[in-house]
Amino acid sequence: MNIIEAKNITLIRDNKKVLEDVSFDVGKGEFVAIIGPNGAGKTTLVKIMTGLLKPSRGEIKISGVEPDNFISKRRGAVGYLPQKAIVNWNMPLKVLDVVLIEKLSPFSFFRKYSKEDVERAEYWLEVFGIKGKMNTYIKDLSGGEQQRVSLARCMFNEPEILILDEPNTAVDAVYNVKIYETLRKLCDNRDITVIMVTHDIGAVTMYVDKVMCLNIKLHCHSSPSTIDYSDMLKKVYGENVNMVIHGERCDSCVFGAKNDRNTY
Amino acid sequence: MERDAIAAFSVLKMTEILINATLIGILVAIPLSFLSYFVVMRKMTFAGVGIAHASFGGIALGFLLGYESFIFPLVFCVLSSLFIGFLYKKGGFSEDSVIDVVFVFSMAFGIFILSLSNGYSGNVLGLLFGDILSVNKSYIVPVLIVFFLSMLFVSYFFSHLNLITYNEDLARINGVRVDLLYYLFWIVLSILIVFSIRLIGIVLVNAFLVLPTLIGLNVSKNFKGVIGVGILSSIVSVAGGVAISYYVNTPTGATIVLLFFALWMLSFLFKI
Repeated sequence: MNIIEAKNITLIRDNKKVLEDVSFDVGKGEFVAIIGPNGAGKTTLVKIMTGLLKPSRGEIKISGVEPDNFISKRRGAVGYLPQKAIVNWNMPLKVLDVVLIEKLSPFSFFRKYSKEDVERAEYWLEVFGIKGKMNTYIKDLSGGEQQRVSLARCMFNEPEILILDEPNTAVDAVYNVKIYETLRKLCDNRDITVIMVTHDIGAVTMYVDKVMCLNIKLHCHSSPSTIDYSDMLKKVYGENVNMVIHGERCDSCVFGAKNDRNTY
Repeated sequence: MERDAIAAFSVLKMTEILINATLIGILVAIPLSFLSYFVVMRKMTFAGVGIAHASFGGIALGFLLGYESFIFPLVFCVLSSLFIGFLYKKGGFSEDSVIDVVFVFSMAFGIFILSLSNGYSGNVLGLLFGDILSVNKSYIVPVLIVFFLSMLFVSYFFSHLNLITYNEDLARINGVRVDLLYYLFWIVLSILIVFSIRLIGIVLVNAFLVLPTLIGLNVSKNFKGVIGVGILSSIVSVAGGVAISYYVNTPTGATIVLLFFALWMLSFLFKI
């Protein structure tokens, strides 16, 4: 069953096509990677999926309705991780404050967090391996740790769809694997749909169900095993790019057994 | 006997002026300390300078029309802040550059208008640097209303403003009406600045918008601590500044700001 359906999406900005005739669908519980060079329209596409931007032409539906309708009717059903650079990491907030930052309630300044909220936040921080830093201030975290806090924040409302714009920015190779593993398990065990923009075009292929290769136009949208990579890379990136495809799981890259949870 | 009565009356009058000034100063400083947190975090500290100077045009127009009231500067400040906000949001200009234009326009407009006011020998220095004598009893009720409304705004929408400051896109996805809150924020800021000007002056009012959070950030790492310390430092600066200015016979606005600055310096000793 498709949860997202997009037909002929075109976005024109300043008389320039940022996206052209992009059509795709995403099934419920699928893990999809969007890859492409800088300026390919990846962030624009995820902003259209979240209702932050409207396409100039074409239509996109989430569960049969427009994204902004879906999001306003089902608050918390979409978890969104914006690009790291546009998040204000200098605020005097603890990790716990950030995980709970989407809880909007009047007069919150004068209230304490509920026990249930703190426990849920702790759970997701543990899933992303950052619970130990729950009381650390966000500006004191490394870039990779900040991204893992953002992932825990995205999961706090236990959304149906996760839309992640470069979640692995500043994340080291080891934690990258852990994040992909975790996202894969969220799809498999919780039926969560994950759409992830990434530049990690090699390693990601072993975790995702579909790869969308975007450079203003959508050049491919299929299972990683069926893609002709040399042809795709030439079309999308415009030149030859060396790429290591990971065919099977790299056990040595995966975290220790105690962190390797079967269900999330 | 008569001289004693006059002296006693003067002392009473002065005490009343000092109490009024302190009360009004504190009532505007507390919500401004809350807003200061968002202003500093969003790097829009120049906003206070622009809005405060926008009031000069309104005050000058009031003089020309022979009607001294907070209504003229209030309208000028609110319109200017909405203009700044609109051009920033829709015009693609940086906030700072638009504020700069509004700032110079309002000052130029004010000077131009004052030059037309024949025989005007008003207290321009008082406008620019504050005048405790201009803060009279009639100000207390409007300031009380402004205090309650601005505190209601900032505390009701605190989590919304916090999320907007963290990331605007995330706020939109969570159903926050970012643009509406943005304009409301500017309006509330403008109103508070207009009511601060009489006490502290156009030039110095930005101290209320920047120093509370800078002091708070030195003393606390947590947002509640930052705001709490900011409020406390504002209250101490206002009350202390008014008292010192009375005993040392110095301009109140400047004394408040100097005390504020001293607290900021002192806060470095507690820097975390």
